[in-house]
Amino acid sequence: MKLVTAIIKPFKLDDVKVALKGIGVEGMTVSEVQGFGRQGGHVETYRGAEYQIDFVPKVRVEAVVADADAERVAQAIVDAARTDKIGDGKVWITAVESLVRIRTGERGDDAV
Amino acid sequence: MTPPLDRTAVLGDDSLRGRRFAVAHTEVVDAWLAELYAEVVGDRSGCALVATGGHGRNELTPGSDLDLLLLHDGRLDPDTAQKLWYPIWDTGMKLGHSFRTRPETLQLATNDLATATALLSVRCLAGDAAAVDELGEAARAQWAKGAKRSLVELADAVDARHESAGEVAFALEPDLKEGRGGLRDVQAIGWALAALPGLDIVDPDRLAERYDVLLAARVELHRATGRAVDRLLLQDQDEVARRLGLDDADVLMARVAGAARTIAWESDEAWFEIRRQLGASRFRRGDKRIDLGHGVELVGGRVELADGTRPEADSVLRVATAAARRRARIGRATLEWLRDAPDLPDPWPAEARDLFVELLGCGHDAVSVIESLDHADLWLRLVPEWAPNRSRPQRNAYHRFTVDRHLLEATANAAALVERVGRPDLLLLGTLLHDIGKGYPGDHAIVGRDLAADVCRRIGLSATDTAVVQTLVEHHLLLPDVATRRDLDDPVTVRSVAAHAGNSLTLELLWALTEADSIATGTAAWGSWKEGLVAALVERARHVLDGGDVTEVAATVPHTATQRDLVARCTEDGQVALSVDGDRLTVVAPDRHALFSRVAAVLALNGLDVTEASARSEGTVAIDEFRVQSAFGTDIAWTKVERDLGRALRGRLAIEPRLAERARSYRRTRLTARTLDPSVRVLNEASADSTVVEVVGPDSIGLLYRLTRALADLDLDIRSAKVATMGNDVVDAFYVRTAEGAKVDDPDDLAEIRAALLHALLVQPV
Repeated sequence: MKLVTAIIKPFKLDDVKVALKGIGVEGMTVSEVQGFGRQGGHVETYRGAEYQIDFVPKVRVEAVVADADAERVAQAIVDAARTDKIGDGKVWITAVESLVRIRTGERGDDAV
Repeated sequence: MTPPLDRTAVLGDDSLRGRRFAVAHTEVVDAWLAELYAEVVGDRSGCALVATGGHGRNELTPGSDLDLLLLHDGRLDPDTAQKLWYPIWDTGMKLGHSFRTRPETLQLATNDLATATALLSVRCLAGDAAAVDELGEAARAQWAKGAKRSLVELADAVDARHESAGEVAFALEPDLKEGRGGLRDVQAIGWALAALPGLDIVDPDRLAERYDVLLAARVELHRATGRAVDRLLLQDQDEVARRLGLDDADVLMARVAGAARTIAWESDEAWFEIRRQLGASRFRRGDKRIDLGHGVELVGGRVELADGTRPEADSVLRVATAAARRRARIGRATLEWLRDAPDLPDPWPAEARDLFVELLGCGHDAVSVIESLDHADLWLRLVPEWAPNRSRPQRNAYHRFTVDRHLLEATANAAALVERVGRPDLLLLGTLLHDIGKGYPGDHAIVGRDLAADVCRRIGLSATDTAVVQTLVEHHLLLPDVATRRDLDDPVTVRSVAAHAGNSLTLELLWALTEADSIATGTAAWGSWKEGLVAALVERARHVLDGGDVTEVAATVPHTATQRDLVARCTEDGQVALSVDGDRLTVVAPDRHALFSRVAAVLALNGLDVTEASARSEGTVAIDEFRVQSAFGTDIAWTKVERDLGRALRGRLAIEPRLAERARSYRRTRLTARTLDPSVRVLNEASADSTVVEVVGPDSIGLLYRLTRALADLDLDIRSAKVATMGNDVVDAFYVRTAEGAKVDDPDDLAEIRAALLHALLVQPV
């Protein structure tokens, strides 16, 4: 199993949700986060002091999926979240050692 | 379409170093930016692409930010700016970008120090050069006009930066950019000069030369690590030295320190003067002259030689002592003048010696004064033996400072302890000289002892006092080494320390020196554990020196009530009994074979470091006592330790696989220092009834388990153990006896012990 994590612009959350449901992802977890990347948290055209670094609000989307689906899910997020502007975010995939569905006790791929 | 930026050639050109690299690199980047600008913005009056800050000064290192301002006339579409920034982001270089008109920029500079100083080095990369010139002139005029307020703010920022980034010249892992004596200090002086052009306080060429030394190191650090880091870590120093064509890291660090030392001194001097001129109230001391006698006076917070005073042989010491006592700086002109002072006669007159001791007794206030003397080459005239220790790095994780700074810090610490000893002067001199041998080949304590004799003779110390200082220097490691590596309950230990010290005055002096030295070394070198051991050792040795019998203080301690209770329980039911008290664990078990190593393994698995341990047998049972500390400074989860112990002692714990797993999880990712070469020493005279085996080498998880397991496999009983961790190294001492209770003296057996322990040291638990 793989954990797909994406940091995206908040207004892109709906697009990402629709895209993921569209390819059969059954669940995801969403949280509001802050951070900065290469543009240092600055707005696209900057009039203030360029030496301060600010955190910008982002949304983190996480979904655990089967190994075979991970790349497809990541690509769907990339396609849905892209605005071609700085600050579009990142998507990464990590290995998941084990997974348990709490209610039923199902494990591994069955619990995805 | 502008082709992508290609920096490969310039980054890979090893013939380009330091400033030449920075200039060539900046040129490549700028040419590309100009092309990009021409394509995106084109030819528009009032608009330009401006480099500011370090980029404006042509100082782009491989990891530098591009500091860019797209200056416009208010009519440029913001989308144009984005078309400019995107290709830059795509190069992977860091970008500080802004899109502003001239009034917006100047407005921002009025209340943002970083923007204001960055605008002092604007440079037109493309577009309307006249507009950039106008911006630069306006920014400089505005900076000069607001000088008073900005410079006070800047002075405070300089202090805060030094506080957080530390020293460059005296730290073993200096921050080349932000540290005291670093690149930023030279830049800040430049900004101050832009505001107060009349300020004639620094020699710009001299500073520029030092600046380039640091710049070169920073360029190669970025190239070597592939990242924009500014702290020159021990692990990168060899590679940076190699890239600069230097023999080794020591040469590099001495060069960096030499440059940083000058920069730090000039910076202190500049900001002292700036603050004085600005009349910031807390630095206002007025220009009233206070006569301090002997032609020395205090003027405006500086100690000076009075006009027309000819420097005498002892003027250097007089001025320095006055400055340290008054917490003042020595005037620049006076420092120059003092170079003309005649040398002190050999030996020094008593008055000069008293002044020298008084200077050393001024504690931390003396450190900056001595730094000033050193800057003017006056310190080496007083102590020529000091020379090879100047800026000498100490490449281990244990130390914080270069040798020379360590000596001064230790002496400053000793100044706070003078009331504890009968001869403060000897404590101060002994501390100042204790590591003087480090810059010379050979055992530094022995070499230092002989150098100390030269120094003491020259400064006119009596033969008796000289001998005491020599003992201090030669044996400055005696107390900490013995206290942490030898069994304090063994009469041989106590007698030998008493014999080395010779009398209780020297013993007291050694004790104070140990404390001063350890505190200056680093936080890892002086904790309550070591402090307590040293105190106990001193107390016992003093008892012997005062004529007491050694057996009254060093003998086998009788069992405590807890131990008796555990022994009774164990003897009765044949089960393992254990008890816990604070950081002490006592284990009593019927089968003593490999007991020690199993307990050591469980403690390692629980993240506990053993600092001290002892083992004894009582009839058929073994009693092991461990003193531990948590590696993470957290409370000790004894319940889990006890559970694991129970299983380990019943042979129900897979010790080696678990240790290997732990070693994998906690693998060190950053090796900051060279570790000691592994070595095993066997000492048969260090104890009355045991063979002492001393093991030195790099620390690793489960090491104590492997060492003691190796001893157990050779059927040796561990009677006691001292375990000390110093940075990344361990020094463990084991008192062992054969199964028959005798010392090991067969050379073949000793060779086997060495081989087994060396193997245990070197094998990596993967």
